[in-house]
Amino acid sequence: MTDLSAGGVPAARPKSSLLTEDARTKKRNAAERRFKNYGLTAVLLGVAALIMLLISILGNGLSAFQQTYVTLQVELPAETLDKEGNRNRDEMAKVSTFGYSPLIGAAMERAVAEAGIETELAADEQGDIISREAAAQLRNFVLANPEVVGETIEFEFLANGRIDGYLKDRVNRESAALDKNVSPAQLDLTDALQEEGILEKRFNWAFLTMPDASGQRPEAAGLGVAIMGSLYMMLIVLGLALPIGVAASIYLEEFAPKNRITDIIEVNISNLAAVPSIVFGILGLAIFINFAGLPQSAPIVGGLVLTLMTLPTIIIATRASLKSVPPSIRDAALGVGASKMQSVFHHVLPLAAPGILTGTIIGLAQALGETAPLLLIGMVAFVREYPSGPPEGFFDPASALPVQIYNWTQRSDPAFVERASGAIIVLLIFLVSMNALAIFLRRRFERRW
Amino acid sequence: MDDLRIVERDVDAKETKISAKNVQVYYGDNHAIKDVNVEIADKTVTAFIGPSGCGKSTFLRCINRMNDTIDVCRVEGDIAIDGEDIYDRKVDPVQLRAKVGMVFQKPNPFPKSIYDNIAYGPRIHGLAKNKADLDVIVERSLRRGAIWDEVKDRLHAPGTGLSGGQQQRLCIARAVATEPEVLLMDEPCSALDPIATAQVEELIDELRQSYSVVIVTHSMQQAARVSQKTAFFHLGYLVEYGETGTIFTNPEDPRTESYITGRIG
Repeated sequence: MTDLSAGGVPAARPKSSLLTEDARTKKRNAAERRFKNYGLTAVLLGVAALIMLLISILGNGLSAFQQTYVTLQVELPAETLDKEGNRNRDEMAKVSTFGYSPLIGAAMERAVAEAGIETELAADEQGDIISREAAAQLRNFVLANPEVVGETIEFEFLANGRIDGYLKDRVNRESAALDKNVSPAQLDLTDALQEEGILEKRFNWAFLTMPDASGQRPEAAGLGVAIMGSLYMMLIVLGLALPIGVAASIYLEEFAPKNRITDIIEVNISNLAAVPSIVFGILGLAIFINFAGLPQSAPIVGGLVLTLMTLPTIIIATRASLKSVPPSIRDAALGVGASKMQSVFHHVLPLAAPGILTGTIIGLAQALGETAPLLLIGMVAFVREYPSGPPEGFFDPASALPVQIYNWTQRSDPAFVERASGAIIVLLIFLVSMNALAIFLRRRFERRW
Repeated sequence: MDDLRIVERDVDAKETKISAKNVQVYYGDNHAIKDVNVEIADKTVTAFIGPSGCGKSTFLRCINRMNDTIDVCRVEGDIAIDGEDIYDRKVDPVQLRAKVGMVFQKPNPFPKSIYDNIAYGPRIHGLAKNKADLDVIVERSLRRGAIWDEVKDRLHAPGTGLSGGQQQRLCIARAVATEPEVLLMDEPCSALDPIATAQVEELIDELRQSYSVVIVTHSMQQAARVSQKTAFFHLGYLVEYGETGTIFTNPEDPRTESYITGRIG
């Protein structure tokens, strides 16, 4: 004490009132206010970006969930559709869609005439209100139900994409006048048909269930095959990445000696998480397709590639949640004579499970939205056939949700903008519900000690 | 023989339970325990005292080989329980730990029911043939842990919901459920309030009837209250070991005297 006071003691603080802010305090408070404002601005920018994204996607895509249908009475004459008259499916399959198109045109003309609608359009121009897909639709229906041949049935046809666009305000008379695919007169007829109740806009289940369609038929394009492909890939990723990832993390965290080799492994797992996804695509192409000879465009290859991508995420999340289990629990288990494995499986793993599940779901959500590696392994192909049931279906060609979106944005018909945005909405719904599930699980099972 | 033994006990010469010879412990390059020789008697409470970092907990953890879980830790020398070297190649540490129970500094019940906390050890060691046996073991252990009356109506409530003192007694009950022969306690009262401490100390005194108890404590008063023998550790050396009364009233080594009078530590 004594030698301290002998040295250079700082001058005593001048007396000041607590009721007035001194200069330093003012400066500090101002700095704090500024920082709070920066933070708030950053948050607002983020929220604004999210809102803009949602508005643009919902504005473009919500209409994809509505579709225009035309309901017509179609005559199915036995003499053209079933020449042998024996209702044999294989015989009937010889009649191509060209055999069905005139029937639809005739049905359309009859409907217009019956409703007493005046139009200068020729019969084939009237028929163009219906989708080019309609003949195939009708043919598939007849082949599936041969008994309807010879009767007149009521059938719902998809309206042409331009007509559908007119009902969704994408097409108007000015644009139709410049468009060789649709004429203003057809739009007039559409209005009249809508008044008669022949043509109407309804919820579009087919968007979620039907396969993709060609570039000329946006109205028939659906996400069915893409959803199946994505689902199969997620099953493969879950089935492979979860057990491998959890086993690897338990070994590294609980059993492995801490030495240079495990350090290197640890660093490399973190690095793996940062590898660009397209690199995994090249790896998948080289190893799974070229070397192992697995089929292209198949969910098995996509699933394997995405497993490689998801593994680091799951390993990192699992190790973090294993680390967060207090060591006292391990001590307690070892102290009563549990073996290492018993202490891990009876005590540590159950406590870490919510964290592992959360990490897994987040990893799956990442994998679900991943596009680049799938492009390289051929999942970008145009696939109209549904894959068969698992496990054979894993080897059938399929599409995937993000790739389907990519595909549709490449097509020229403006109706595909709507389709792509609709597909984004579907993908976002999947992702949001997966993340919500992860949050729910974490809240529900998180234990505090 | 039996008669002889009784006489021996009376003259304070109980048979040795744990004997350590030339024990050295290294944490990497750090020589944490140096040349410790000690003979711990059966059915006695032995207290390890000493300033922080003197190695008393480290030595305690050598007795049930909990140090094996630390990668960098290396133990040399001999520690024998009932004459059997516990660091022998043939000894499985898991089997050893069933014989040498341990209670930790912070109460660490499993986040499971009170019943499952106690039943876990007997279950993994196959001590109970059926549910009825297990019920008997659980009740007996909880009674030995002096907590039965407080929890008998809520055996299926979570063990983590008990108060700190109750949790620690639950942990003691859990440790005795596997029928150990030695009970190691690493500062069992440091996280407890004075009332809970008194309850645990009373319990330790009762446990002496059945087990050899080794307790590490920071409180010299506690060592004086509960133990019959006391070992004073300083800087990794076992400085002095003897009757508790002697250590506290008439220590031989000046370092011991300095510590118990509060001049070092």
